[in-house]
Amino acid sequence: MARRERKINRQQRSAGLAQRPFAKVRNPYPYMEILSSDQIEAIHVASLKVLRDTGMNFLLPEAVEILRAAGADVNPDGVRVRFDPAFVEEKIRTVPSRFELHARNPAHNVTVGDDWTVFMLMGSAPNATDIDSGRRTGNFADYLNFIRLGQSINICHTIGGYPVEPVDLPVTTRHLDAIGAMIRLSDKVLYGYALGTERMADAIELARIARGIDHETLQREPSVMTVVNTNSPLQLDRPMLQGMIEMARHNQPVILTPFTLAGAMAPITIAGALVQQNAEALAGMVFSQVVNPGAPIIYGSFTSNVDMKSGAPAFGTPEFARSLLASGQLARRYGVPWRGSNVNASNAADEQATYESMMSIWPCMLAHCNMVKHSFGWLEGGLAVSYEKVILDAEMLQMMAAFFEPIETDADSLAIEAIDQVGPGNHFFQSPHTMSRYESAFYAPILSDWQNFENWQDAGSVEATQRANRIWKSLLETYEEPPIDPAILAEVDAFIARRKEEGGAPPL
Amino acid sequence: MSEDQELDLRELSNEDLVQQMHDDLYDGLKDEIEEGVHILLERGWAPYQILTDALVEGMRIVGIDFRDGILFVPEVLLSANAMKAGMAILRPLLAETGAPKMGKMVIGTVKGDIHDIGKNLVGMMMEGAGFEVVDIGINNPVENYLAALEEHKPDILGMSALLTTTMPYMKVVIDTLNEKGIRDNYIVLVGGAPLNEEFGKAVGADAYCRDAAITVEVAKEMMKRRHNSLGCAAE
Repeated sequence: MARRERKINRQQRSAGLAQRPFAKVRNPYPYMEILSSDQIEAIHVASLKVLRDTGMNFLLPEAVEILRAAGADVNPDGVRVRFDPAFVEEKIRTVPSRFELHARNPAHNVTVGDDWTVFMLMGSAPNATDIDSGRRTGNFADYLNFIRLGQSINICHTIGGYPVEPVDLPVTTRHLDAIGAMIRLSDKVLYGYALGTERMADAIELARIARGIDHETLQREPSVMTVVNTNSPLQLDRPMLQGMIEMARHNQPVILTPFTLAGAMAPITIAGALVQQNAEALAGMVFSQVVNPGAPIIYGSFTSNVDMKSGAPAFGTPEFARSLLASGQLARRYGVPWRGSNVNASNAADEQATYESMMSIWPCMLAHCNMVKHSFGWLEGGLAVSYEKVILDAEMLQMMAAFFEPIETDADSLAIEAIDQVGPGNHFFQSPHTMSRYESAFYAPILSDWQNFENWQDAGSVEATQRANRIWKSLLETYEEPPIDPAILAEVDAFIARRKEEGGAPPL
Repeated sequence: MSEDQELDLRELSNEDLVQQMHDDLYDGLKDEIEEGVHILLERGWAPYQILTDALVEGMRIVGIDFRDGILFVPEVLLSANAMKAGMAILRPLLAETGAPKMGKMVIGTVKGDIHDIGKNLVGMMMEGAGFEVVDIGINNPVENYLAALEEHKPDILGMSALLTTTMPYMKVVIDTLNEKGIRDNYIVLVGGAPLNEEFGKAVGADAYCRDAAITVEVAKEMMKRRHNSLGCAAE
């Protein structure tokens, strides 16, 4: 006679990371507003004046011609473009307030806009670091590992660029290998770089092949995204504009992010930096809508300050936090989705990295940021991506997702009966109300250690960064490639092989 | 109770039944534990063997997974309740047969302190491990402790406090025991959130117990030593 199985599954409870499942994140709370509507209007009007009087450099003749044809005022130098305020207001009306971004696995689609928040993996770090081996130049092996981690971590919604630059791959074909690996190792939303027409076009085509869709469907269903940074102050450069044209024509989303670091590339006052950010963002939105009215574009906010003693960028500062909150208000004024970042200036995955990150995450959440770029791994003002920081961030952002679960106040949740049953001076550990809920009542951490001091000490006094080190290693050990249709993979590989044969994309 | 798997405990071999009781303790199944104890008694097992092999060993496994964060507090309390139910059947039989006792504990929070959730959890876990627990409640002056020691003749005295302002009272109690020359009659265990190892030593306790699971471990270990030294003294 067989014995009875245990009800409590010990193996299940002790196996792997107790992550929350992949889910879209929606912020149900009111947004925080730190500027009055008059102040927002003042920034808006000031940025329109900047676009009208100072204008902006468009460093691609084709882009200038597109704007000239649409009625913008082009300087005799053929570079500087000035915009009439009414022209700006009219053009940005077609920016969609919300759209769906499609992954090759539809379960990993995300919604961009309104109250939805998307957490994106780190992008574009030139160095990788972990506490065992230290900091090294970006390379393809680390690149692959970070993509695997992004795939493994459920709260990581999308890829966010190359988590670390695979500098060991040739410049002309790097994008082919990098995006090919993204497709194979992850089934989340893809990301390509607006570094010239060819690279962008290759990324778009690879996204189409990866999803197994035709060109018309791709046109309807955004499936790959990119960031276009302005060369602040007031310039959009040639490769970025080429990429932007390519993306807009294919109806794929661009995150237009002014690189406004106050004191260096923008005025030293927050208001002044916001005026410039807003002017550059508006100019970018106008350009995209002129190329293709209705093309998805996201208002980017990256305004922070520099260290005036060294010129080095600082992040997660009070200035950065307030800029995020103001940016949320500006984006809502225009009814467009907007992007913020989970960033810091620390050189290690330490306390500074964590508290500056929290000074980034909280304002993003309070301001209803739609896309939180660099959500996982960012260090050193973006010059390194850290394995341990990926895990620290995963814990912080999972907690935010749990924070967005509204408090229930139905009769059962109010627990009057349970309070009465337990009465004064007893405890709730065994109340039926507790017994039916304890497993899922509270957020279960992946990184936090809640043992008492002596137990923690007996277990080796392992601090959070070291625990994070163990976690990313175990995630990589248990990582499995997501399934992919072999026919699609063959088409991806064939496309990459053909483009390599053709020489890839020209150097910038 | 398991609806989908009908199982007759009587059909299990001794070895399988004991294994099953370990699992049932883990799952906090009180009725099944009571039934298991009865079956083993019918099969002629000595009460002490049932206690140690089936119940105490089962709770040892529960204790490990509690310590390691696999089990939730409500689950462990269910396990302790199931153990207690089995123990209730065995206790009179153990007394009859003169089997070694797990031990008896008097426990209470000290004068000025009414924070008792930790003390209550310790009491339940100790009962779950087979100890007899006399809970004298909260806010106890030294007289209460002395009266309880006199009346119940425990092996262990447990004191608990949550406040740094009330925890020094533990020393008052222990000093009084010393003055009366009865300190060494008892294992004195102290606990509570603001305490630490150093404090336990400073007030003259036998051990500081940082949580309920550790209290059980320490109590068992000290009872073992106590039995051994009593054994030596008798020789």
